[in-house]
Amino acid sequence: MQIAVIGTDEFVLGFRLAGLRRVFVADKETYQEKMSEAMSDSNIGILAVDAKDLDFLPTNVRTKYLDSIQPVVVPVGGDESDLREKVKRAIGVDLYKTEDE
Amino acid sequence: MASHEITPTRSVLMELKKKIKLSQSGYKIMKMKRDGLIIEFFEVLEKARKMRAGVLSDYETAMRKITVARAVEGDIAVKSAAYALKADPQVKLGSKSIMGMMVPKVEIAESLHTNITEKGYGVISTSTLIEEAAAAFEKLLDTLVRAAEIETTMKKLLDEIERTKRRVNALEFKIIPELKDSERFVKFRLEEMERENTTRLKHLKKKGEAAE
Repeated sequence: MQIAVIGTDEFVLGFRLAGLRRVFVADKETYQEKMSEAMSDSNIGILAVDAKDLDFLPTNVRTKYLDSIQPVVVPVGGDESDLREKVKRAIGVDLYKTEDE
Repeated sequence: MASHEITPTRSVLMELKKKIKLSQSGYKIMKMKRDGLIIEFFEVLEKARKMRAGVLSDYETAMRKITVARAVEGDIAVKSAAYALKADPQVKLGSKSIMGMMVPKVEIAESLHTNITEKGYGVISTSTLIEEAAAAFEKLLDTLVRAAEIETTMKKLLDEIERTKRRVNALEFKIIPELKDSERFVKFRLEEMERENTTRLKHLKKKGEAAE
């Protein structure tokens, strides 16, 4: 299984430096298309995405991708809002809440 | 099943009793499964929170290093080093079972760290800044792979918890009460029929005696 990365030119450059070969360069317009291409590739086990770029996707598509198991989509550099939302829905309590909130 | 759709016979009553027993034992097991899953989940949750924070801090360090490298060495130097790399890290996806639910287990097939002599670009021509940035991203990748495993486990656990919770609730608040309702209806109807029969017999007996 391969590790892949998708994002802007700057974002993927570092991952290229770490040795990744499955790299998808996408900007705001082509993001959704590239993302679905990456998601349908069965060779990819893990897909690293820039958390900021996920805003380019419609909400339902984003949720679908983040829930995906094969490949696993791991947002890099963002907060934990997606997991937090899921935990809240399944358990019924906001477990990520800290005391100062 | 609404009670008026049921034929009040003894065999139906027996059938209903059997169904209630089965649903109740199923409900107990489901409840235990739900509790077990939640306990598992709490263990994973702590790990996942740490992992996310780890990914974030590693990402920030790596980004800082690559920005410095790009500023000092120039974009082209960094890019050429990146494109010259020969490594291709692979991961192996296995699976393990939690409460009968399969969760993936990610293993790094080969080390993510590429030896400097095997990188594919010249050691002398590339600066330490690029080398440092590469090392930082390798570290980020390592964290990312581990985070992927934990996050998938958590997502699957959450899905399973939701599903189990729905089943438990359906059994507790819908299926079992409805079955009990039907059972009560059949029981009362049978008793009523019994009473009707007795009065009818008494009536007939009286009629017979009067005819004699």
